Amino acid sequence: MMVCTMTITEKSSRETQQRGATGQKFRLGDHWRGYRAHHRATLSSSVRKMLREPVQTLMTVLVIAIALALPSAMLLALNNVQTIGGNLESSSQITVFVAKPANSAAVDGLALQLEGLEGVISVTYVSAEQALEEFKALSGFGMALRYLDENPLPAVFLVQPLPSGEAGVSQVGKLITSIEELESVEDVQVDMLWIQRLNAITQIGEKLVLAISIALGIGVLLIVGNTIRLAIQGRQEEIIVVKLVGGTDAYVRRPFLYTGTLLGLFGAIIASLILIACVIWVGRSVEVLASLYQSQFELVGPGLSGILALCAIGAMTGLIGAWVAVMQHLRKIEPK
Amino acid sequence: MIRFDNLSKRYPGGLEALSNVNFELDAGEMAFLTGPSGAGKSTLLKLLMLIERPTSGTLLINGKNLNRLSRSAIPTYRRQIGVVFQNHQLLTDRTVFDNVALPLQISGYPASETGRRVRAALDGVGLLDKETHNPLTLSGGEQQRVGIARAVVHKPKILIADEPTGNLDPKLSAEIMAMFRRFQSVGVTVLIATHDINLINTMDERIMHIENGMIADDGVHHDHH
Repeated sequence: MMVCTMTITEKSSRETQQRGATGQKFRLGDHWRGYRAHHRATLSSSVRKMLREPVQTLMTVLVIAIALALPSAMLLALNNVQTIGGNLESSSQITVFVAKPANSAAVDGLALQLEGLEGVISVTYVSAEQALEEFKALSGFGMALRYLDENPLPAVFLVQPLPSGEAGVSQVGKLITSIEELESVEDVQVDMLWIQRLNAITQIGEKLVLAISIALGIGVLLIVGNTIRLAIQGRQEEIIVVKLVGGTDAYVRRPFLYTGTLLGLFGAIIASLILIACVIWVGRSVEVLASLYQSQFELVGPGLSGILALCAIGAMTGLIGAWVAVMQHLRKIEPK
Repeated sequence: MIRFDNLSKRYPGGLEALSNVNFELDAGEMAFLTGPSGAGKSTLLKLLMLIERPTSGTLLINGKNLNRLSRSAIPTYRRQIGVVFQNHQLLTDRTVFDNVALPLQISGYPASETGRRVRAALDGVGLLDKETHNPLTLSGGEQQRVGIARAVVHKPKILIADEPTGNLDPKLSAEIMAMFRRFQSVGVTVLIATHDINLINTMDERIMHIENGMIADDGVHHDHH
């Protein structure tokens, strides 16, 4: 309390003095403008100081960029694999082979039962004759098939299950079990196993990306922290003078926090450029591969929101790294 | 304005730099602090700048007890005093103008006000034409005057100087002292630590002589002790 009163009385008496001398009033708004101007000046002087040592700054920024680009690229790759998996899963059909011999009544009954099951979107019937025609047309064995006495192909129902999200695999698994229990069903086939494998692999991939992200994130913190530590040491004299003439801890801290944030941000911007370049570069090859599979698949890039998120993460990491360094080293520098 | 009450300072290791120092400096008063090296002059100034804290006793500034100031209140306190350092403590990565502007920037003065005051302060020490120079390009006397301009740019009530004429020839030293006198004449309390006995004996001001951490002599000197 004593301190506050002293400050206020001192200041107000000083202000009266100033007003008397200059005819000008020093308002709170002026302080606020001065504060903002100081922030702008600190920001631009941080940029200037970084540009004064371009090689050093560039190297730091590049290391940060690589550390950010690596996990981002892995995450992007993982996202794309998951998209492939999702596409396949939603397009996966369950093939139900009808037991022979089955009359039309049994087939109609089975169709109704299949349509009534939970998680089924549509049921398409392919008769044994249709199947044979299709096979003749597509396989090129048309001539050979004429020599067969009877149609070896069974009638088939193509069941389209609901496209499913996370729990999809197990739901489809349940559906398969209930179809298998139906009468007149010879066999049920579904290409689920490798989708399950893919899901399991991507889950491992996710954990791997997370672990690498954390490791490289700590790396960025250390890089920024070390850069800021060196900057603090290089400006020790200035820090002491600023403290002697009444600079607060926040004032002394500010330029270093700006520098750390800018290093992180610039690193993230370069990481984004690396990422975009990679997507374009790899994208062409993926297009060729996809066309060989008659697929419309296209590589998905980071997108604007992804880039913005990366920049935010870079800037935040830089800020935190600088903060840690400042907390460790700045308090020790006091006038003697 | 400044009052030392039974003040002692003992450094870790047992060295007693100041013991039971008592003195008072009124507002607008000017005083010199003399004594051999290691007698306690620097410690006394450091206590005033809150670089050091007393071991016992009280230090009152404008009636307020400095012992009660928390660490976070130190910057605000330092903004109310002006300090001239022996080694100038100027920053060589910026111009004379920016050096003098530093205390105002720290206090958040708007740019227009800062420019006006910095030029007024530089004009006061006769260096208005050097505002765009780097301090390194100035002579020792000029550097010291920049330091003085920085110490008074925010119009402090108290001005402290540590050997301000340390490396200057007698003529420049006299000029610097005349500057301090001008500040005193407009109501600033001035305390100057110096070795320059010859110079201060001609100034007819209060001289406090420190020896072994104690004020051995306190009074106005004319020609002889």
